[in-house]
Amino acid sequence: MDFWTELDQWALLVPLFPALAFVIIGSLGERLKRFEHGGWVAVVFAGVSMVLGFLIAIGEMLGPGTYVDVHTTWFTIPSSTGFPKGFSLVMGTLVDPISALMLIVVTLVGFVVMLYSIGYMHRDTGLPRYYAILSLFLTAMLGVVLADNLLMFFLFWELVGVCSYFLIGFYYAKPSAASAAKQAFIVTRVGDVLFLAGIFIYFSIYAAVDPNWAASGFLFTNGNSAFLNLGVGVNSNLLTLAGLFLLAGAAGKSAQFPLDSWLPDAMEGPTTVSALIHAATMVAAGVYLLVIGSLFLGFTSIDDFAIVAIGGFTTIWAASMACTHTDIKRVIAYSTVSQLGYMVLAVGAGFAMVGLFHLYTQAMFKALLFLAAGSVIHAVTTQDLFKMGGLRKKMRYTAFAFLAGAFALSGIPPFAGYWSKDDILSSLYGQLAIHPEYWPFYLMALATVFLTSYYIFRAYFLAFEGPTSREPGLADHAHESPWVMRVPMLILSGMAIVGGMFVFIPGFASLFDPALTSAAFPVTLPLNIPPSYPLIDIELSAISVVLAVLGILVAWRLWGNGRIAPLPKSQPARAMHHLLAERYYMKRAYDWIAATGAYSVARGADFVDRFVIDGTVRGFERTFAGLSQRMRKIQTGVVSDYAAYVIAGLIALFVIVLFVAPWLVSKLGGG
Amino acid sequence: MTTLSIDGFIGLSIALLAISIFGILTRRNFILLLISVEIGMNAAILNFLFFAAFPNRSPFFDGLQGQSIAIVLVGLAATEVAVGLAIVLALNRLKGTINVAEASSLRE
Amino acid sequence: MSLEELAFLVLALVAVATALLALFVRELVHTILWIGVFFVDLSAIYFLIDAPFLGVLQLGVYAGAVTILLLFGIMVTRKRIFSREAITGIGALPAALAVATFVFLALVVGEFPGGEQAITSYNVTDLSQALFSQFGVYLLLLGLVMLGALAGAIYLVREGRE
Repeated sequence: MDFWTELDQWALLVPLFPALAFVIIGSLGERLKRFEHGGWVAVVFAGVSMVLGFLIAIGEMLGPGTYVDVHTTWFTIPSSTGFPKGFSLVMGTLVDPISALMLIVVTLVGFVVMLYSIGYMHRDTGLPRYYAILSLFLTAMLGVVLADNLLMFFLFWELVGVCSYFLIGFYYAKPSAASAAKQAFIVTRVGDVLFLAGIFIYFSIYAAVDPNWAASGFLFTNGNSAFLNLGVGVNSNLLTLAGLFLLAGAAGKSAQFPLDSWLPDAMEGPTTVSALIHAATMVAAGVYLLVIGSLFLGFTSIDDFAIVAIGGFTTIWAASMACTHTDIKRVIAYSTVSQLGYMVLAVGAGFAMVGLFHLYTQAMFKALLFLAAGSVIHAVTTQDLFKMGGLRKKMRYTAFAFLAGAFALSGIPPFAGYWSKDDILSSLYGQLAIHPEYWPFYLMALATVFLTSYYIFRAYFLAFEGPTSREPGLADHAHESPWVMRVPMLILSGMAIVGGMFVFIPGFASLFDPALTSAAFPVTLPLNIPPSYPLIDIELSAISVVLAVLGILVAWRLWGNGRIAPLPKSQPARAMHHLLAERYYMKRAYDWIAATGAYSVARGADFVDRFVIDGTVRGFERTFAGLSQRMRKIQTGVVSDYAAYVIAGLIALFVIVLFVAPWLVSKLGGG
Repeated sequence: MTTLSIDGFIGLSIALLAISIFGILTRRNFILLLISVEIGMNAAILNFLFFAAFPNRSPFFDGLQGQSIAIVLVGLAATEVAVGLAIVLALNRLKGTINVAEASSLRE
Repeated sequence: MSLEELAFLVLALVAVATALLALFVRELVHTILWIGVFFVDLSAIYFLIDAPFLGVLQLGVYAGAVTILLLFGIMVTRKRIFSREAITGIGALPAALAVATFVFLALVVGEFPGGEQAITSYNVTDLSQALFSQFGVYLLLLGLVMLGALAGAIYLVREGRE
């Protein structure tokens, strides 16, 4: 066994190091004051984890298509109805091409965000809590990435959600942060419950088709053959339902319509948390779930259409809302929702690998945008774009980083976003001949290209361009951030500029080709491997690039050089603006549903509680209160009296056991 | 070889126990209370020795076990007296008397 | 009636009498004297039934240590050591309970066959060996109880406690 294969056996260590940091910081707490309240511990352990993750990824690139699964059986349920050969619950790590890619994304972004936090969070209190939970989050996310079966995946998936809850509510004294944390937790929980139901349906279906797979714990490595053996039409209704449930889970985590409202509100957390969790990793887990689902479980054609529809609609839905918001973090958050829509769209159309490629590039440039925004917020202590302006001269590094991220997001060649987004659009275009029902979603995605470049450059111009800030004095106090914040931005800027082109390196491209070995994939699926499409469809690329440039120009015309575009005069345009600013009234709709539906149920429950249950309880209470009023006379406080009670009781007991009980038994005719 | 009446033995043990209970219930002086408890303890020890002396009458103990428990009980009784006296001292300091009827702060 | 039985009868009567006297005399110091006699008397009974080790233990621990401790208790809690104790009246409930216990236990024991029987005697060496091997756990428990009692006693009597 050579070094690289040996290394894959130890993949468990990658999530273990952040877990260790969690334990150390969590238990020592403020005693780590000299190490930036535990910050440096978290950075060092995340760094070790990153080195290990990169080594594993390099090993995967050197030996393309390696699948190394190390697992231990937690417990086994013997054969029973539905599981002819039994069912095992397995915990283990699976190193395969896509998890190697995810390792790169998660450990790199995790490490740079930890480093950035040292500078960004310096002035906050409660830092041990922050670093401990952030480390735990990294562990959980790596657990999701390395999980080798759906149950373990779900376990870490939930842990990720819990960490997200804690981190969104980091400023728990602020009511809006606390309620945003709750909202994020509850909305994703709606998806999670359905996801769990989906897992159960999958297990029951596949256990019947492939009992051995169930007996081995539904390891991903043995997947897919069962789906292909199933053939089309067999049990397809149930299978469709399971796929829809899985989609619901992914939509909850990745904030897809209609479970999207929590992500913009989650910006109440620290910006670093937004960068790591709500841009690069956790929200991408939903997409990763769909990728895994399409690779190892299989979706039916109805599922595929539902995924395309949700993804396609979410792109334009979120992008349109991003155009009117004035909070710099919310603009980027809506952008995240929109970009995640692209990935979901790609996975649904059958291009899981293309979607994964966009996940990778998006993680880089979106984390970069958040870190740059965080740097701005750090300097001017406001998030309102309309107050900023003219910051470019004061913060050159930050402006450069934000610009790099904005170009990547808009899809201007050769920035990272161009390669992946264009890949999605052209791949989808290729499918249109077979699936004409994808047309509306293709057009939505295409229109979103324009919107994307418009809203991100609107944010850029508002924040950085112009002679000076719109709120007097704001730009005067602004200053460039310390090196711990600049270095992460520079690393990610590099990735945003050249990260997309890595795909032309054969070793890196092999990460997108899980079908290389036949052992894991008995039947090769129609996979589209990323670098192929944009080279072919030059015309399509040109269209989207032109749209993006158009977006930038419109943004410049309206907001460039310190201009403020007035609100349009016409009635429909004003109404539209209002609708977008109110977020399509979706939050109101949620409230209304909760108010009418849940409140009437609560009223009924309240009636039962007050009159039926409380009445019974009070009846008991009165009886015993009266009884105890009489019993309290016994309590004299004198020891001898208590001794008398004890002895009287003992004698009574003995009399009952020795005389009364035998007499009763003999009367009743017992032995 | 000594032979003895089993009934007399048991009768003595029971009588001592009854006296002990009577003392515990009536005496209000803490030291008398302690003495009563000691009498009861001795009744129990006597009973164990009885089972040791007539091993065929006991379904639960063999002979040496009866004597072993008796030894342990003697130690236990001594411990109890020590703690009892500590309570006497504490009570005396706290209330100025060793009458247990005075120490009735447990009363409702 | 053999000599042993006579001796037992006498010793038993003395035991009951001294126990009652100890509870009924009005001088607390006299109580201690009577209880001392009671302990010595019981020790004699132990010798009679061939349990010499227990007899010696009874003499040492009870007639010696416990009696002195009780006397000490009286001494430190009284200004004048000889003073009369007001006898509380014999309550109906305690007397009834004591009699009930006696009657009840006598009834229960009466169910078993009585009669005379030879006494089994034991070698002290065997006893000690059994105590430290077979029944060692009793000694361990006793040690634990004693340790706890020691700590408790020190806690109770230490100075500066309210």
